[in-house]
Amino acid sequence: MSNRLTRPETLTALGIVVVAAGFLVPAAALRPISALLPVAMLIGLIVLSVVLLISDQRKAAAGEAAQPMTKSPKRVFGAFALIVAYALATDFIGFYVSTVVAVPLTAFLFGFRNPLGLALATVIVVGAIWLIFDFGMSQDFPAGRLWAA
Amino acid sequence: MYSDLLSALPEVIGFSNFAAVIIGVIAGIVVGAMPGLSATMAISVLVPFTFGLEPLVALGLMAGIYNGAMYGGAIPAVLLRIPGTPAAVATTFDGYPMAQKGEGGFALQVAVVSSAIGGIASAFALMLLAPPLSKVTLLFGPSEVFWVAVFGLASIIFLLGGNPVKGLISACFGVFVSVIGADPIYGTDRFTFGQLEMLDGISIVILLVGLYALPPVIDLLETPLKTDGVESSKLGTEPIWKAMPRMKGFWKTWLRSSVIGIWIGILPGAGGSMAAFMSYNEARRSSKNPEKWGEGEPEGVAASETANNADTASALIPALTLGIPGTAVAAVMLGGLLVHGLQPGPMLFRENPDVVFGFMWQFLFGAILLILLGGSLATNSFARLLNLPRPLLGSVIIVLMLIGVYSIHGRMFDVYLMLGFGAVGWVMDKLKFPLPPVVLGLILGGFAEENLRLALRIGRGDWGVLFQNTTSLILVALTVAVIVGPIVKRRMIDRRKQAES
Repeated sequence: MSNRLTRPETLTALGIVVVAAGFLVPAAALRPISALLPVAMLIGLIVLSVVLLISDQRKAAAGEAAQPMTKSPKRVFGAFALIVAYALATDFIGFYVSTVVAVPLTAFLFGFRNPLGLALATVIVVGAIWLIFDFGMSQDFPAGRLWAA
Repeated sequence: MYSDLLSALPEVIGFSNFAAVIIGVIAGIVVGAMPGLSATMAISVLVPFTFGLEPLVALGLMAGIYNGAMYGGAIPAVLLRIPGTPAAVATTFDGYPMAQKGEGGFALQVAVVSSAIGGIASAFALMLLAPPLSKVTLLFGPSEVFWVAVFGLASIIFLLGGNPVKGLISACFGVFVSVIGADPIYGTDRFTFGQLEMLDGISIVILLVGLYALPPVIDLLETPLKTDGVESSKLGTEPIWKAMPRMKGFWKTWLRSSVIGIWIGILPGAGGSMAAFMSYNEARRSSKNPEKWGEGEPEGVAASETANNADTASALIPALTLGIPGTAVAAVMLGGLLVHGLQPGPMLFRENPDVVFGFMWQFLFGAILLILLGGSLATNSFARLLNLPRPLLGSVIIVLMLIGVYSIHGRMFDVYLMLGFGAVGWVMDKLKFPLPPVVLGLILGGFAEENLRLALRIGRGDWGVLFQNTTSLILVALTVAVIVGPIVKRRMIDRRKQAES
């Protein structure tokens, strides 16, 4: 039973129903004409997700195995975690410091282990960004909330 | 009708606008040559960087990337049997056997010439068909515009193929995202949860980068593709002018495939892959020796490459005139137009003729430049790109995504929002939810709501105003046909199968 409920499509459909139902609460406070389109879309999402859920459960009942979403969950989770960590580091520590660390670290952790190549790529990427965006276009990057406080 | 087209020409051949097309074509070939990267992703990453640029420079880059990427996908398809873009799958059928026979260089030259011919034909189709269509659509009022938006959404959901329930969920999600922010008429907050950053609504660029750029990056890091690499010295490439006489028998294939590609491009929801497959099958069917196809027949490469480039500009015919994109790339390009304050649809031709007609010329120049830039010397150099390590490429794209999204408003909130959309996009991608309806929902959702409410105001709240004129009724009938047609077709196929079994 638990296997049937942990199928990716079933979980996604349940997730959509919960989130869409959650959004219906603030929608109730809107003027009817302002709420028309959002409520129609939220109800549409709920109904369609229920259809998707039933269809997926029928497949499960017929013995059809669910397709796994990824062949290597650890790598996918690691990639997402690194990207989020890079965004947080940029926000709190600053763009350049985070980028100098993130570019070689990501490439190294995911299989490119040539030290010279990593160093060269980091210098080229960070140098090009500074030259084009900072120097050429006067683009400001996050300096880091920690240093600003 | 075509005078605006000629007036736009001098502007396009200015240095910065022309240079943008050249850079775009080169960048497009590079992106297309990298398995896992696509024109859609490249344009999504590029769009935020074009904020400060003149509209024609930005659009020139996009037109160049689109043309270049469609050809670039042929490079790994021929050399490694790995299609660089989904549209290059049919190119592998004969391109790779040619490479194994030591004719990889010639296969790439056939690909580049055919791509250029397809692109040129497509640009002419855009120039000839879009202006008269725009004249018709200029007559539309709010209720017709509302129905055009509904028709656009319906066509991309139901003609895209796959599971229509998933398509509808994608569209509902996109439309819902479009209503976040201040109400267009009363100005009240909708679903902003007190976040001032969301009052102006969600920028299409944030959604595009999240949906189209993050999932391929995760894929790059998830499965680092190991190839043996390619030595350019083993390609057997000769100067392109020497190879041209060997292609003179391909003219029928070029003509047929161009027509197929243009037609498929105009159809909402269909794309380069379908054009390439259909064109390959048709060319093979009309060949004198079809048994040789699949063993290294250069005409097979010509058929698929002509068609997948012939759908580029033609996909913009419904996109520019009605706001309905023919392909996913066209949907992303609509986002690019919006970034520059250009609302795709009937008014675009009246309010910004220089930009819209300039964009058409840029498509033509992009296609012509393919032969010069994608010729023998460039092909050798581009083949080396396949040796670039994918994890490194992935980490560089992550940095570009962050810079691009941050630079829109100079705030990290947008970056976090983009990551959220990226996670949603990855799940959707893996569960085969189509992404173009989300983008179209975001583009057309606000547009549809605004025109619906305007029509209701004109009709003093009477919903009958939406069905009061012939144009609206035709659009309603077309929408119903688009929804019911595929269902009827599927039932007929099922019945035929049952009868056969």
